[in-house]
Amino acid sequence: MDALLIVFASGLISLFAAFAKKPWLVVSSAMAGLLAAIIVIIVQLQTGKAFFDFLTYEGLSFDQFALLFSLAICVLSLLIIGIGYERFKENPTHTGEYIGLLMFSATGAMIMTAYTDMFMFFLGLEILSIPIYVMAGSNKADVRSSEASLKYFLTGSFATGIFLFGLAWVYGATGTFKLQEIQMKIEEMDTLSPILMIGVLLIMASFIFKIGAAPFHFWSPDVYDGAPPAVTGFMASVVKIAAFYAFLKMFALCFGQGELFLFWKGALVVMIIITLFVGNLSALRQVRFKRLLAYSSITHVGYTLLLFVSQVDFFFSSQYLWFYMFAYGFSIVGIIAVAIAVNDSEDRIDALRGLGKRNPFLAIVGIVSLLSLAGIPPTSGFFAKYILFSAAWKSAAWLVIIALINSGISIYYYLKVIVAIASPADQEQEKIKLSPLTIAVLVIALAGMLGFSFVLPLL
Amino acid sequence: MLLATLFESGVKIEHYMVLATALFVIGVFGVLYRKNAIILLMCIELMLNAVNLLLVAFSTYFGQADGQLFVFFIMVVVAAEATVGLSILVLLFRNTRSVDIRLFNKLKN
Repeated sequence: MDALLIVFASGLISLFAAFAKKPWLVVSSAMAGLLAAIIVIIVQLQTGKAFFDFLTYEGLSFDQFALLFSLAICVLSLLIIGIGYERFKENPTHTGEYIGLLMFSATGAMIMTAYTDMFMFFLGLEILSIPIYVMAGSNKADVRSSEASLKYFLTGSFATGIFLFGLAWVYGATGTFKLQEIQMKIEEMDTLSPILMIGVLLIMASFIFKIGAAPFHFWSPDVYDGAPPAVTGFMASVVKIAAFYAFLKMFALCFGQGELFLFWKGALVVMIIITLFVGNLSALRQVRFKRLLAYSSITHVGYTLLLFVSQVDFFFSSQYLWFYMFAYGFSIVGIIAVAIAVNDSEDRIDALRGLGKRNPFLAIVGIVSLLSLAGIPPTSGFFAKYILFSAAWKSAAWLVIIALINSGISIYYYLKVIVAIASPADQEQEKIKLSPLTIAVLVIALAGMLGFSFVLPLL
Repeated sequence: MLLATLFESGVKIEHYMVLATALFVIGVFGVLYRKNAIILLMCIELMLNAVNLLLVAFSTYFGQADGQLFVFFIMVVVAAEATVGLSILVLLFRNTRSVDIRLFNKLKN
């Protein structure tokens, strides 16, 4: 709870620090707040005690997993603010609003990891989403950015409407909003009421919308493409973490027993297969970098959804999810840093040519991130994917085989980008200079992507 | 005649369920088929108000206050959402001089 308050308070502080017209003040207050939150979370994980014990509310419980996922949210928000800083130095007018909104969005994400009733989940979801609608359109001069913002807003609020309608039916079937009581009521039922089934399906559809899996994925390439790169990074990492954990918590704990599980499992299996193929096959013919990233993220959503149908215990599946999302988030940070530094107006993959000469360090980070996304050892992306697939293997072997085939297809388009980075440019280009902050962020991301392979054998 | 029987039997929870579903479906179809962005916003409001109606009906049916409380949360959040949505529309209107969503197609391949 205190980490949540710290993040929220530092968001407010950075909003007011913008009056001083100094971007570094805004950014450093936000980063200090996130660092403090990270320390508080680690201390609470180690000792099991919060600094302020009296701050409790029954709708939010920061148990071990909520803390772990909040930690991931804070770390990735910190890294994304770090790589976005270059842009604010060029155009410092709206730094305060941007950073403030990002921090509020991170607050919403943390609420979404810790909710125990639907009130808090709904509020967290909206606190997460509404700032992102604004952030996606933060590049006001660019009509594509505003268009991305409108598309995200319309699909997002449509999904919210569907979620609420589903929730109303679940409320009608069970008479409560608390996760635990809903679960007890469902266990007591002899036969599933149709009202409950409609509700669960609608809630699942809204989650599928939010995480961007097929068949409700159509908004994500446009939004990822049009939004400013740092916002794309935020959407692909932090928002996904929060939405996935909230999804897992609701469906594994609340709707995850017996007949009801079998009921939504069938629908989800079909969606996973569609998601994997749509994501991969569309990614093959992309020429724009961020669009490719969007389709690749759709594919990753497909892999991650395997956890939901794999009948693993919630205790283990949330650990696997945490590991996967962390590995994925680090790779996203690395790739977004490359996109920001290259700064091509058209976002073409060809614009990455000659990066090895322009800045060797950045090129290495880009290649390692792409290898990690493709799941090639010794990157953490490989270990995360391996753990996830082996967990799903026991109950859904044929689905894992489909996922492996898709994993093979995906290597093609990741390699396409790697080849572009490694090949020489047609004409001489100027060198890219990275600020110390960006280099620090990239070193952390590299450590995250490669470090697991050294840590893992020791465990 | 029909009205009289309705009043005698009282309005049951099923009636509210049917009404709310009808409103919600009208909203969904509006979002899918209308081309004016402001009407899209109104249709989303309609969807959410259908939810509000359903929640209040269930809440009264169970004799709890939970559902009605939730409706207040939804109203507040929807007001915030509509504010953001309208300001995004104003931003786009400055560029394109229109709110027709068919014109917002700069992000295609």
